[in-house]
Amino acid sequence: MSQAWAIFKKEMRVYFVSPLAYVFLGVFLFLAGLFFYMGISMTGEASLRVMLGNLSVSLMFMLPLLTMRHFAEERRSGTFELMMTAPVPLWALLAGKWAASLALCLVLLAGTGIFPLVLAYYGDPDWGVIATSYLGLVLTCAAFVSAGLFSSSLTDEPVAAGLIGVILLLPFWLAGNAADMVDSPTLREGMRHLALLTHVEPFTRGVIDSAHVAWFVLFSFAFLFLTWRSVESRRWR
Amino acid sequence: MISAQGITKRFGGFTAVDRVSFEVGRGEILGFIGPNGAGKTTTMRVLTGFLPATEGRAVVAGHDVFEDPMAVRRRVGYLPETPPLYPELSIGAYLRFIAEIREVPRGERTRRVGEVMEQVGLDGWEDRILGSLSKGYRQRVGLAQAVIHDPEVLILDEPTSGLDPAQVVGIRDYVRRLATRRTVILSTHILPEVEAICGRAVIIAGGRVVADDTIDGLKDAVGQGIRYRVELRAPASDGPTLARRLAGLPGVERVVPLDEPGDDGFEVFDIRAPADPRTAVARLATAEGWEIRAMERHAATLEEAFLAAVGRER
Repeated sequence: MSQAWAIFKKEMRVYFVSPLAYVFLGVFLFLAGLFFYMGISMTGEASLRVMLGNLSVSLMFMLPLLTMRHFAEERRSGTFELMMTAPVPLWALLAGKWAASLALCLVLLAGTGIFPLVLAYYGDPDWGVIATSYLGLVLTCAAFVSAGLFSSSLTDEPVAAGLIGVILLLPFWLAGNAADMVDSPTLREGMRHLALLTHVEPFTRGVIDSAHVAWFVLFSFAFLFLTWRSVESRRWR
Repeated sequence: MISAQGITKRFGGFTAVDRVSFEVGRGEILGFIGPNGAGKTTTMRVLTGFLPATEGRAVVAGHDVFEDPMAVRRRVGYLPETPPLYPELSIGAYLRFIAEIREVPRGERTRRVGEVMEQVGLDGWEDRILGSLSKGYRQRVGLAQAVIHDPEVLILDEPTSGLDPAQVVGIRDYVRRLATRRTVILSTHILPEVEAICGRAVIIAGGRVVADDTIDGLKDAVGQGIRYRVELRAPASDGPTLARRLAGLPGVERVVPLDEPGDDGFEVFDIRAPADPRTAVARLATAEGWEIRAMERHAATLEEAFLAAVGRER
């Protein structure tokens, strides 16, 4: 456990001593502001639905850039060898890295906290809905970070890892739209289950459904497991 | 402390390391030498547990590398060929992180980091960012991370490559001091380094161990030990005659004419003899009226031993 904590602290330090975290925060908050404005002016509602929905799509493109370095860069710079010859169990390495990226996501999301406050000043937002929406977004981040870790474990080239990450997540975004074009009802239903939006949408309505929570947890663990296998297997080659 | 037993490592169809076996005892500094691409790094990676061997067994500090990797990792300090640094971190933050994952107890970390920084000559450099360091300083940080948990076994992959001569001497001294309580394997292709600090050397070429002996033993194996080089001029006789006469001296085992007669008429010979034949040569030369320009005693060098061992393999 202390190993995972050490990895976590190191990763956070690396994020925050380099410009990366700040650039991310800047871009993310800019987008959030834009979506917030769009949402208010389009719907006239005191809600964050539009902003949070769009942010979740933005995260799909941004998070792989945040996670792409985890294994690719370590392997390229030789620190991977350090990790694999120090008494750090692989699970601790994965947990530390995953938690650090997720923590950075929480920082990004916390940065958007100003917008609900603005809503509260001018209107009467539904705090329950806002809370569940944020929960949905946190779960989305957890899932994306896992997928990003996996793509980072596939290559020594961080940029390639980032691209693979985006490509890996795209089907989960597109599956919902594509489902409408499919004739077979079974297939359509299957694709809907695969689609991110199916599982995010209830959260934006203020509903916490354990089935959807489970989908995110499963998604995260599945990719963490694949990452674990991938890192292990690459030592053999 | 370290026992490699028939380690073989294949990458696809390529055999990088082929049935490598050797032992290193406690307190020993073993030089692991070989041409580039001989399999040094691969062998070291197997010993640290980074790469699993295709065949064979490695026991390090009493634990099987494959069966009990965590126990081995705890007891080994490893400096890979390129020091594994996080360019964004400061030296202090990096070493504290290493101390943490290397399980240095919380209360001792700060003291330990200070200690090793001083030992490798980094005191006062806490806040320097790793990415901005020169090669020599990176290497020092690399060494510091390898010893921070006070390991029983140290595996150093070319610790002095790319350093300036003063830094090389510094690192060698440091390694020598470390070895009083530890077992060290040090790979290099710089032979004087091996002579300077190692008691024993394993020579590896084409993935195979081609020699494993003390430094003196290696030299003896090539050198027929010591030889004496004499440069003579005899106006009245030719080279072969001179060689014959020299060979006739008591105690001389063999006379080898060297292929560098030169236009000044001096002939050069290597004389192999168990006892120093130079006074006898001088007496003979005086009696015959030959001129002597030089007589030198040559000990075999590790270079020759190395080339001979590697050459046999080719």
